[in-house]
Amino acid sequence: MSLPETNMRSLLEISDISFGYDKGSKPVLEHLDLDVRRGECIVIKGPSGGGKSTLLRLVCRLNIPLSGTILFKGKNIADIAPPALRSAVSYVSQIPQMTDASVRESLLLPFSFETGKGKPAPSDKQLEQMLDDFYLHGTNLDHSALKLSVGQRQRLSIMRSILTGPEMLLLDEPTSALDTESANMVFSIIERLNTEEGKTLMIVTHSDFQPSVPKARNFILRNGTFEQA
Amino acid sequence: MDRIIDISLPQLLLAFILILTAQGASFVYRLGLNRDIWIGTIRTVSQLFLMGYALTFIFGARNLWLTLGIFVVMVFSAIFIIRGRVKEKQIPYEIPTFLTMLSSYFLTALFVSWVVIGTTPWWEPRYFIPTAGMVIGNSMSALAISIERLFSQMRQQRDVVEMKLCLGANYKEASLDIFKGAVKAGMIPSINAMMGVGLVFIPGMMSGQILAGTDPLIAIRYQIVVMFMLVGSTAISTITVMHIIRRRCFGQSEELILTQ
Repeated sequence: MSLPETNMRSLLEISDISFGYDKGSKPVLEHLDLDVRRGECIVIKGPSGGGKSTLLRLVCRLNIPLSGTILFKGKNIADIAPPALRSAVSYVSQIPQMTDASVRESLLLPFSFETGKGKPAPSDKQLEQMLDDFYLHGTNLDHSALKLSVGQRQRLSIMRSILTGPEMLLLDEPTSALDTESANMVFSIIERLNTEEGKTLMIVTHSDFQPSVPKARNFILRNGTFEQA
Repeated sequence: MDRIIDISLPQLLLAFILILTAQGASFVYRLGLNRDIWIGTIRTVSQLFLMGYALTFIFGARNLWLTLGIFVVMVFSAIFIIRGRVKEKQIPYEIPTFLTMLSSYFLTALFVSWVVIGTTPWWEPRYFIPTAGMVIGNSMSALAISIERLFSQMRQQRDVVEMKLCLGANYKEASLDIFKGAVKAGMIPSINAMMGVGLVFIPGMMSGQILAGTDPLIAIRYQIVVMFMLVGSTAISTITVMHIIRRRCFGQSEELILTQ
């Protein structure tokens, strides 16, 4: 489902967001504001436990804020049907998750859901071409996705997330479980998604990754608030 | 032989020898079961005597409200037993489970005693209460298995469920495999019972009827009805409860709220 765009300036507007897991304990995020414009690449760094992943989870409503609002295309995300929101704003977790299925079935999984059924599923040839683009040359579509290495699964999970054409991609520590070579491949894919395909990205990382893209903005999230990068 | 042989008190005491055998075995092999066997024996005798007198009274009274009251107490006891088996603290499942059990078991017992057997009135306690008892006893175990399975799998596969949500699945699609697994786990024992009945074992109810002098060909008809009833009631109650509890594992925004 395509959501109507009411505000051309900001794709995502986070206003005065606070979040805590338990009432009474110190909030994980406090009065956070952030505007993300279409085509930007937002990189959020900071120490572990600073609330980086939580922020991404709030944007796709895997967690619900205590206060504040998040607007996507000018509409409060609380008023958007969750499956529609999550197929428009796709979140890729730190540890790539695959079910016990072939590479093809894993990639086409989103097309089996109600939100993906109306969308044209890519052919084997298109998938093979994309696998090449994601440094997964020679990966057999019939092989078990669970037998791939963590690095390969991470690239596969990013590829799976973009197949249904989300407008924004949330990448949670996409290279934390990877060796340097695999991490570099993922960084290269991220840069390409932003520059060549114009995908709006929000990346959370505690690595030194600095994407060489023109529309990158950096933030440091520490103790639940943004610091000047 | 069509007359029931009454078991006199001395004969009952004679059967007690079997318990003494078990006690002896526990003593000789130091199994540490002597205390449990005593408690079990006392509870069996007292509970069954109490039940015997209660049923004699209820069957004699033939009162609609008393019959329904007994039914509610039976379901209420079943939910306490399920609570003892399912160690879930976060998601409240007891009230929907109780209400589902109450309605589905009532309809099943009603269907079997009134429509299939054809008792008049429909609540004839001699038929309604034993029928309900069998439904409750069997489905209670199935429900406990299914509920436990749903919660444990939802926690174990939390990351996979969230992955599917993030790919645009609704909460039903994201937890479909877990839902199916939980329902199947609850239903398999009663389906397996249908496979083995008459070959591997003679069910308690049928044995009881035959011992009481009923023609085996009539006893098997009752048993067939009972087997079908148990599978049907297990399916209805398990699927309904799984639907309700699964929804409770997710929040308003279909986010998984079940924590580790």
